Amino acid sequence: MAALRSTSARALGSAIKPAFRPAMFVRSMASVSDTPSEKPRMKTFQVYRWNPDTPTEKPRMQSYTLDLNKTGPMILDALIRIKNELDPTLTFRRSCREGICGSCAMNINGQNTLACLCRINTEDASETKIYPLPHTYVVKDLVPDLTLFYKQYKSIKPYLQRDTPSPDGKEYRQTKADRRKLDGLYECILCACCSTSCPSYWWNSEEYLGPAILLQSYRWLADSRDERTAVRKQALDNSMSLYRCHTILNCTRACPKGLNPGLAIAEIKKQMSF
Amino acid sequence: MASIMRPAVLRPTAMAARMVKTPAIRSAFRPAIQKEVMSNAIRASAFHTTSKRDILPPPPQVIQGGVNDPVPIPDPSPSHGSYHWTFERLLAGSLVPLTLTPFAAGSLNPTLDAVLCAAILVHSHLGFQTIIVDYVPAKRFPTARKISTWGLNLATALVGLGLYEFETNDVGVTEAIRRVWTA
Repeated sequence: MAALRSTSARALGSAIKPAFRPAMFVRSMASVSDTPSEKPRMKTFQVYRWNPDTPTEKPRMQSYTLDLNKTGPMILDALIRIKNELDPTLTFRRSCREGICGSCAMNINGQNTLACLCRINTEDASETKIYPLPHTYVVKDLVPDLTLFYKQYKSIKPYLQRDTPSPDGKEYRQTKADRRKLDGLYECILCACCSTSCPSYWWNSEEYLGPAILLQSYRWLADSRDERTAVRKQALDNSMSLYRCHTILNCTRACPKGLNPGLAIAEIKKQMSF
Repeated sequence: MASIMRPAVLRPTAMAARMVKTPAIRSAFRPAIQKEVMSNAIRASAFHTTSKRDILPPPPQVIQGGVNDPVPIPDPSPSHGSYHWTFERLLAGSLVPLTLTPFAAGSLNPTLDAVLCAAILVHSHLGFQTIIVDYVPAKRFPTARKISTWGLNLATALVGLGLYEFETNDVGVTEAIRRVWTA
């Protein structure tokens, strides 16, 4: 909301004073209790900054203070407002601003989550700390390098593999029960919140696939239409790819979509052994 | 090296290094490029507010192959994968009745005692092995991995020998626990 407001103000021209923003008008129409002369509610955000152009400079935390009355409810609104109005050099990924794309995954107050789904804590006046996803190589500020993550995703062949054509030449049908097995798996948006919260993935990310990729692995193992289940299982049957999971369950706690990668990994382990 | 030293100790050294490093006399020190690098390291670490104690600092990122290539799939080895995991779970599960039986039955069976000892030994061996596999990656620290693996094997063999001696020439584990308990 805040972002829309500030950009629309920009579009109208920088000469317009903040007091005359069109949003001001909208607000007074929207609610009676929302008086324009409200006491400012200031909130400080500490954001991790590192610039690849000056690699010898150590990463630092930069503080930005915003008035929450003029900011939208989510952390992403605050970040966009900081970028628009306070510091255009702040770098972060964002796209859909509603938890569908998974771009704005970051570590907010010690918890991996999507900035667009994380509310700004208005209860207390403590500072909100925003870091990039932990144990990732940082490209700049809040942007982590997810190259390895995507390469690992590619290695599990995340697509339907089958040789027999469907009997009637139409789409591959499955029963309602079979389709229901995919619920809680297909919703994953690959934001990497779970993988980067997993200590096992921190220590062994080169070889261990991590919760997000294993959840996707299970999505294709559980699919009744897929015919390469044996090959898929074989690819996981070594000491590193799957069995570095020690059921820590940070993944399940972190998932901003409310999925359960820990359960999916347990199901794979069960399928592999019995 | 410099980074493990305490900053407070290093600070005077760094100050001295800075004094020396004026442009006029800098050329005189030019051949000593090693010295230059060293003093830079000292200076950098001296102004860290906290001393660096990275035991295993992260290595620079290495991406094998192209950005769009999948990571290589390891060769399947069920003895390190699914069989290993299943065996581990069955063993851990069997420890529960094995531990409870002698106390519940109130009788002392040397065979059962030996089985319990062996199960505990293998169970703890597998547990320590998992720790090594997790924290001493074979790719980054091949030597340390070899040393720790063989160290573990040696320790397990020693404990196995000790338990064998204790079982054959002494009272055995269950009886020892009973005596300590009622002492």
